[in-house]
Amino acid sequence: MSLLVARGLTVAARVEGEAVPVFRGLNFALAPGRVLGLVGESGAGKSMVGRAVAQLLPPGFRISHGSMEFGGADLVTMPPAARRALLGRDIAFIPQQPLAALNPLQTVAALLDEHHRRLGVRGRRLLREYARAALAAVQLPDPAAMLARYPHQLAADQCQRLLVAMAFAGRPRLVVADEATAALDVIAQADVIALMRALQRASGAAMLFITRDLRLAAGLCDELAVMHAGDIVETGPAAQVLGAPRHPYTRCLQLAIPPMDGPRRALYALPEPMPGLRALARLPGCRFAPRCPVKADYCLRSEPPLAGGAHRSACLRPGLVPAIAAADALSPPPWRPAGQAPVLVLEGLCKSFTTGAWPRRGRVDAVRDVSLRVAPGEFVAVVGESGSGKSTLGRLVVGLERPDAGRIVLAGHDVGAGDAAARRYRVDHVQMVFQDPQAALNPRRRVAAIIAQALEAQGAKFAVRERRVRALLAEMGMPLELGVRSPAQLSGGQRQRVSIARALCSAPPLLVADDIMAGLDISVQAQLLLLLHRLRQDHDFALLFISRDLPVVRHLCDRVLVMHRGAIVEEGPTATVFGWPRHDCTRALLAAVPR
Amino acid sequence: MTLLAALARRLLVVPPILLMASLLLFISVRVLPADPAGMSLPPTASADAIAAARRQMGLDRPLAAQYAIWLGRLVAGDLGRSVHLRRPVTALLAAAVPATIELAGLAMALAAGLGLAGGLLLFALRGEAAEMLADAGTTLLMSVPDFLWALLFILVFGVLLEAMPFTGRLGPALLQPGGTGFLLLDSLLAGDIAAFRSAARHMVLPAAALGIAFAPPIMRVLHASLIDVYCADHIRQARLRGLSPTRVLLCHALPNTARPVLKLMAVQFGLLLGGALLVEEIFAYPGMGALLVDALRNADLPVIQAVALAYCAVVLGIRALVAGLRLALDPRLRAR
Amino acid sequence: MSGMGTGRLLRRLLYPRWLRSGRVALGLLVVVAMLALALLAPALAPHDPAAQDLTLTLQPVRLGSAFPLGTDGLGRCVLSRLLHGARLALWVAVAAAFGAMLLGSALAYAGGYLGGRTDWLIGRTVDAWTLFPPVVLALILLVGLGAGSTHLVLAIILAEWPRVCRVLCCEVRKGMRRDHVAAARLLGFPHWRTLLLEVVPATVPRLLTLLALEMGSAVVMAAILGVIGLGVTPDQAAWGQMIADGRAVIHQAPANLLAPAAAIVITVAGFNLLGEGLRRTLEPRPVGGRQ
Repeated sequence: MSLLVARGLTVAARVEGEAVPVFRGLNFALAPGRVLGLVGESGAGKSMVGRAVAQLLPPGFRISHGSMEFGGADLVTMPPAARRALLGRDIAFIPQQPLAALNPLQTVAALLDEHHRRLGVRGRRLLREYARAALAAVQLPDPAAMLARYPHQLAADQCQRLLVAMAFAGRPRLVVADEATAALDVIAQADVIALMRALQRASGAAMLFITRDLRLAAGLCDELAVMHAGDIVETGPAAQVLGAPRHPYTRCLQLAIPPMDGPRRALYALPEPMPGLRALARLPGCRFAPRCPVKADYCLRSEPPLAGGAHRSACLRPGLVPAIAAADALSPPPWRPAGQAPVLVLEGLCKSFTTGAWPRRGRVDAVRDVSLRVAPGEFVAVVGESGSGKSTLGRLVVGLERPDAGRIVLAGHDVGAGDAAARRYRVDHVQMVFQDPQAALNPRRRVAAIIAQALEAQGAKFAVRERRVRALLAEMGMPLELGVRSPAQLSGGQRQRVSIARALCSAPPLLVADDIMAGLDISVQAQLLLLLHRLRQDHDFALLFISRDLPVVRHLCDRVLVMHRGAIVEEGPTATVFGWPRHDCTRALLAAVPR
Repeated sequence: MTLLAALARRLLVVPPILLMASLLLFISVRVLPADPAGMSLPPTASADAIAAARRQMGLDRPLAAQYAIWLGRLVAGDLGRSVHLRRPVTALLAAAVPATIELAGLAMALAAGLGLAGGLLLFALRGEAAEMLADAGTTLLMSVPDFLWALLFILVFGVLLEAMPFTGRLGPALLQPGGTGFLLLDSLLAGDIAAFRSAARHMVLPAAALGIAFAPPIMRVLHASLIDVYCADHIRQARLRGLSPTRVLLCHALPNTARPVLKLMAVQFGLLLGGALLVEEIFAYPGMGALLVDALRNADLPVIQAVALAYCAVVLGIRALVAGLRLALDPRLRAR
Repeated sequence: MSGMGTGRLLRRLLYPRWLRSGRVALGLLVVVAMLALALLAPALAPHDPAAQDLTLTLQPVRLGSAFPLGTDGLGRCVLSRLLHGARLALWVAVAAAFGAMLLGSALAYAGGYLGGRTDWLIGRTVDAWTLFPPVVLALILLVGLGAGSTHLVLAIILAEWPRVCRVLCCEVRKGMRRDHVAAARLLGFPHWRTLLLEVVPATVPRLLTLLALEMGSAVVMAAILGVIGLGVTPDQAAWGQMIADGRAVIHQAPANLLAPAAAIVITVAGFNLLGEGLRRTLEPRPVGGRQ
């Protein structure tokens, strides 16, 4: 007897007056006490499944066919009041953005009391007891102080713990967690995942775990359903799906993830992003076929059914899946240190910010006495928890912040003063790639104009700029016609590539990249990693790579700096630091990486 | 504690702002061609007497020194005497300011009530064809300035229907009860029901004119911020927790719209006082507006300066009040 | 432009997205009609707006007669005065709105871009300036400056610019936080080009919206000053003065009051519709909220 059963569930979206299915005829079943992982890239429709459970779809979306049965009753046709009675009590949700999901005007106590009252708890003293018990259940310390706080006074992981506590407070039968840890730090993510797993086991609730991180799902889920373009392409017990995938998509995703153990290997980068909704609606045959490495002509004509026993896949050629391998199994060519003067030297760099307001003014040392050097062509990673000062370090190097003390020597010139001469010098010697490409590209300019900005600033002629844009677009692996588009018409990965191209336009010897892989899909990340390796061969630039993602760092960088509270606590070649970590902070970071 | 500290922090900028405002006022008043010395004396005064008066008033000194003198007197509470009415300016203000605050307060309350109702109605209609209609209606409503409402009300209720009084603050046979100067309050305190009724009836039309004119912006901002808030994650989470729609609206959505709505109302209050100026004039309501217009017509410099400063003080007071309310309602502001 | 057909390009040029909104179209229609009436007033007006005929005072409204909207207490043609008043009202609206916009936006860009002390100073100046209700400030200034349409425009500009500045300042600060502004600085663009290319374009929609709305409030402001008896010289036809005159004869000839009132409402509604429509089409907000 299954707890949650979807039968032929179809959600349609209205795109420019046309009803387009987001997913069609979705079937899955979730047994009580089990954890089902829905995995796939963004746009696969997995979040919509979670929302369909509560029937809270975004404007323009609606369930057009099928049923979603919960404990025998159909959630789709159920009257709204009956459905609402289930929500929060029998079906609980853990959201993606913990801070945004809390009413900013409510204290923790008011929030918990409201929730417990809805669950039927009455009486002041009892409510207080329940609130304390809820906090204790998710290991939030110091309940008296915690209850009086407002959401903005909590850390992201504390907010998420609170929401987890509320989700499990009503002894739910089903918990839906939509990217519940995507917004958290690596260490906090590992803790919250462990907590969710423990509470789920203890309460016997079933869980629908929606994520795009295959490794997270592997550690938490009993069963997996891999989604691509609105279809479940492979489903079965987690160990089987990941151990012996039978759909090329699953296999490709696995190959796109940089490994944490074993030798560094090349990544498999899926070609092209997932097709858009409207393109999909017109696609005959297998929807994965355009990206598939083992497709045959007949794949484009007939739609494969989801077939098999416990482990099913929707592929006409499952036998070929194990044969898929990354383009060349060679690891990326190792970096050969050139015996030249360092491109960047930092000496005793300090930066602090004032926080809070009178009368409780404080100072935080964002960067404390940091010294480092980067050789030409070297890829150096800066890792650390959020708030460890790594982004500030990057901003100091490019000149977006001014240091309080210390020296910044860029290719032999001290630019720490930050005067006009230093600024001019910096333009040709260091550039930055920003975290959010959407904010980093002016939405009102064309891609070509954005890429050639560096030349434009120097007053180069149109023909010169045009030539450079063509060359850069080709190097980024982007078609030339993208040059006339505006950034809004590009995908996330394309935008980040434009951002990199702009930074490389003036051929600086040093690039600072601030968490540029954040929020990108695995396949896009793999494409960017391949691109960076290739660019390094041709351009010979050094990279200061600020990141939270240790597997990516391991794949890309030659050397690692670990920052903790503004100071560098450990540094060394990547293999050494990751293989034999010495500092506690490094060990904690490494231990938190899902494998 | 945090609340008081945050409020104190915000009040720290008040002195420089007041200083700037007084400077602005001084400069704009000095643009006036009127000669305060000449006007403070009878027309028969000799040139020597006028020159003496100028010296005594400091008008022969450089502008900076004049400003210092004026500011010094201001701080000491000396607002001077009205040249035209021959009365101390403080006495004039004591009568006019409460009258205007009473009217403006009532009008603002009315605007807030109408704005709340209208905003909720607009929000209830969201996504339907009627929303377009209602929205166009508010745009049209916004295009009728307060003084036209006032004239329209006089025409309809005063002249055609003869249902409402439309001049002054009180019926002819009634005596104004003394006290705070807030007529509604004073008459209640004095137990004078007839005076209260008459005062209330006299305020209905001007307050309604102002209230109706200032309600549409509140409606729109409430409507827009409700839509914004309903897109927020925490509202979705509240619904996913199974809270009823009414509870979501009243306990989660509406409190979160208080911040933009209060901010708007603080700005609106300044505009409303400006609108009240002409509305008072139209209804012969003896407030600050009527006093200022009268003083401007007679180039009565001390009164002009004093009334303008009184406007500043009232607006500043309202701003402080709203700042306090916002701080009390929103814990995030306290931290900053 | 290989991606876009010539036909579509032409369509986008001739019939842009913002014109497709009903509000914008209606607002533009009203404003253009008013402008046309104002420009053609000398040709359209049946009489000289200043010509008095004391034998024909307070004529009632009779369409088709020599005085379609009647006459005022001095026997002047109401329709002619209305048409000539439109010239003044629209001139004041356009000039004052552009002036307030120039002053307000210059300070907003300066404050928002430079930040720090400049921003603080401009912010506090705006705070101090807005302590005076705009009408009060305009009144005091106008008394000092004396009557006349140029002085009227100047007074309105000086009273209204802080409102523009305050709204735009927020917008500029928001724009400055975006990374592409930082990127442009890093790429070596001078300040003025960064401001012009990276910051200003994002504020243009708000600027246009504000401009339309400011024109509406300038019409109202001019009318208020007119009713009080300031603004323009008594011989000039202005809607405010007409309302002031109409108040005296409210019992005998209500049209004297209602005609200029209607003109004000229609003009302001035109500007408001235009502004609202532009805001909705150029700055899309989330709609529905029924998630």
